[in-house]
Amino acid sequence: MRAGPSQEEIRRQNLGALLRFVHVRGSISRAELTSELGLNRSTIGALTADLAAVGLVSEEAPRETGRAGRPSLVVRPSSDLVYAYAASVEVDRIRVARVGLGGVILDQREAPRPHGEAIEAVRPVAEFVAQMAESVKPQARCIGAGIAVCGLVRREDGLVRLGPHLGWLDEPLGHALQDRLPDLLPQVAVGNVADLCALAEHTRGVAVGCDNIIYMYGDVGVGAGIIAGGRRVTGHGGYGGEVGHMVVNPHGRPCGCGSRGCWETEIGEQALLRAAGRDTALGSEAVLAVVEAAARGDATAQVAVRQVGDWLGFGVANLVNIFNPELVIFGGTLRDVYLASAAQVRSRLNSIGLPATREHVRLRTPKLGGDAALLGAAELAFEQLLADPLG
Amino acid sequence: MGTPLLELRGINKSFGPVQVLRDVALTVHPGEVTALIGDNGAGKSTLVKCIGGIYPIDSGEYLMEGKPVHVHNPRDAASHGVEIVYQDLALCDNLDIVQNMFLGREKKSGMILDEPTMEQLAQQTLAGLSVRTVKSVRQQVSSLSGGQRQTVAIAKAVLWNSKLVILDEPTAALGVAQTQQVLELVRRLADNGLAVVLISHNMNDVFAVSDQIAALYLGRMAAQVKTSDVTHSQVVELITSGRSGTLGLVEEGAAA
Repeated sequence: MRAGPSQEEIRRQNLGALLRFVHVRGSISRAELTSELGLNRSTIGALTADLAAVGLVSEEAPRETGRAGRPSLVVRPSSDLVYAYAASVEVDRIRVARVGLGGVILDQREAPRPHGEAIEAVRPVAEFVAQMAESVKPQARCIGAGIAVCGLVRREDGLVRLGPHLGWLDEPLGHALQDRLPDLLPQVAVGNVADLCALAEHTRGVAVGCDNIIYMYGDVGVGAGIIAGGRRVTGHGGYGGEVGHMVVNPHGRPCGCGSRGCWETEIGEQALLRAAGRDTALGSEAVLAVVEAAARGDATAQVAVRQVGDWLGFGVANLVNIFNPELVIFGGTLRDVYLASAAQVRSRLNSIGLPATREHVRLRTPKLGGDAALLGAAELAFEQLLADPLG
Repeated sequence: MGTPLLELRGINKSFGPVQVLRDVALTVHPGEVTALIGDNGAGKSTLVKCIGGIYPIDSGEYLMEGKPVHVHNPRDAASHGVEIVYQDLALCDNLDIVQNMFLGREKKSGMILDEPTMEQLAQQTLAGLSVRTVKSVRQQVSSLSGGQRQTVAIAKAVLWNSKLVILDEPTAALGVAQTQQVLELVRRLADNGLAVVLISHNMNDVFAVSDQIAALYLGRMAAQVKTSDVTHSQVVELITSGRSGTLGLVEEGAAA
């Protein structure tokens, strides 16, 4: 028989719940916290005092409520004093941001990605982190860093097992960064970019309040971040969600992963650009140029956009049948593709998706846009703090 | 599904001997985008002007939130929370964003205009729509891009606690990046709880953001269907021939 949770555990959980609430929702009055968390007033007061004592939140009198009575104090996350570094390692660029508690981007830098292994990619990240650290207030506290990467990431230690479009195999990305800056970064967590975008949109974007979502992230490659029943579905080792490598066309083109006819060979950037006869170009601007040309009436571009839209619809319909999500989000360059070919995507989904699985599915574009990867990486870094704020 | 925000039944409208709308029905739910589509001359604009109180209807029922109402002029429509954003946007180039949003309905404190309140409300409205492209609400409208103008016109419609916003071809004449932003804005309006009617000729726009599609054909409502139940080609058939398989007008109606 298991004994009930101890006083200590309950307090830790309540502290975590309160801090997470303030982190996700932003400034909120004590009175609202009392009703939202279902704890009594004095408990909220004591928990807030504990969190304020270690500088995680601050309290202030509200500006003016226009109502009678003593106004309830407003609890605010200390975004400028508690922060994490977030990095996004993409095929053609690297972005680094300093993100305060509450999901506020305080500082942001970007550079082209140097070719080569993780050691090379880590160099500009470490430089940016060191630069940003110079302007930080001395009393501020860094929680650690999170990195979003387009590749398969081992959950237990952040080893990038495979980054087909980065040319990486078994690259210890997290360790490489921490080894460079052991004094600045207490911990470094690594996650897949689609998973982290899904996490960010679920925490503070278009998917707030939705427990079954699929975030389709596309650039050169395509991956999905899946949240089912409110939990991130990342599989046994952390490699799940590689929908871009579903084989949809056994007679199709060879894929970077070694297989043939993977979904990303039909809906990735290269597929669109090839179909539009622009093989030489790359990147999101090239994708937008095709969409623009299609909108202006360029017949080749129109066919290319429709063809990719058709394939996108095929795959999404299969995913909808498997996961029965309430929301499918198209991020990365798939946002542009979806908005330009929604008629094809919807038509395919409506004709292949089972009526019961598709009836409530909403197709959306991200609310956080390109910041999702950085905010998701920051969430990863904040996770431990939110689980045990005083630990 | 709950009570529709707007329900029209058996709407007829003639201009002299020409019957433009014939027994038209339309339902619009809060939180949804209802796309209103149809060929040129199908009656889309007339229907919208009837909803907005610019044209009185000859006969038919007009219900807001389940209750019959009488709409004789635009002021009546506005009092029921109906706002229309026309293609030309009706913005004044020589005024700034705040002045445009409150044009004709300025807030006053005593004798003078309450500029701080209006500015704050304008900022709140734009922030509520997650609009990041507009730098200052004191910018003159003449300095804005086409997409930003559309955004201001939509924000102006949302400002008045409106319940139903009707958008007439909001993405016509915009570039791709701006079209994308406006589409996302249209979607966000509905996701924030408003009822939205979107008039569009662009099938992608319709499929990208709508929940329901209402297709007019020669002044009659061919069909109102859920976007999740139809394909592109079915919708094109509804527009061009008024029917598609079991959907749409019955045979003799289509032949008329």
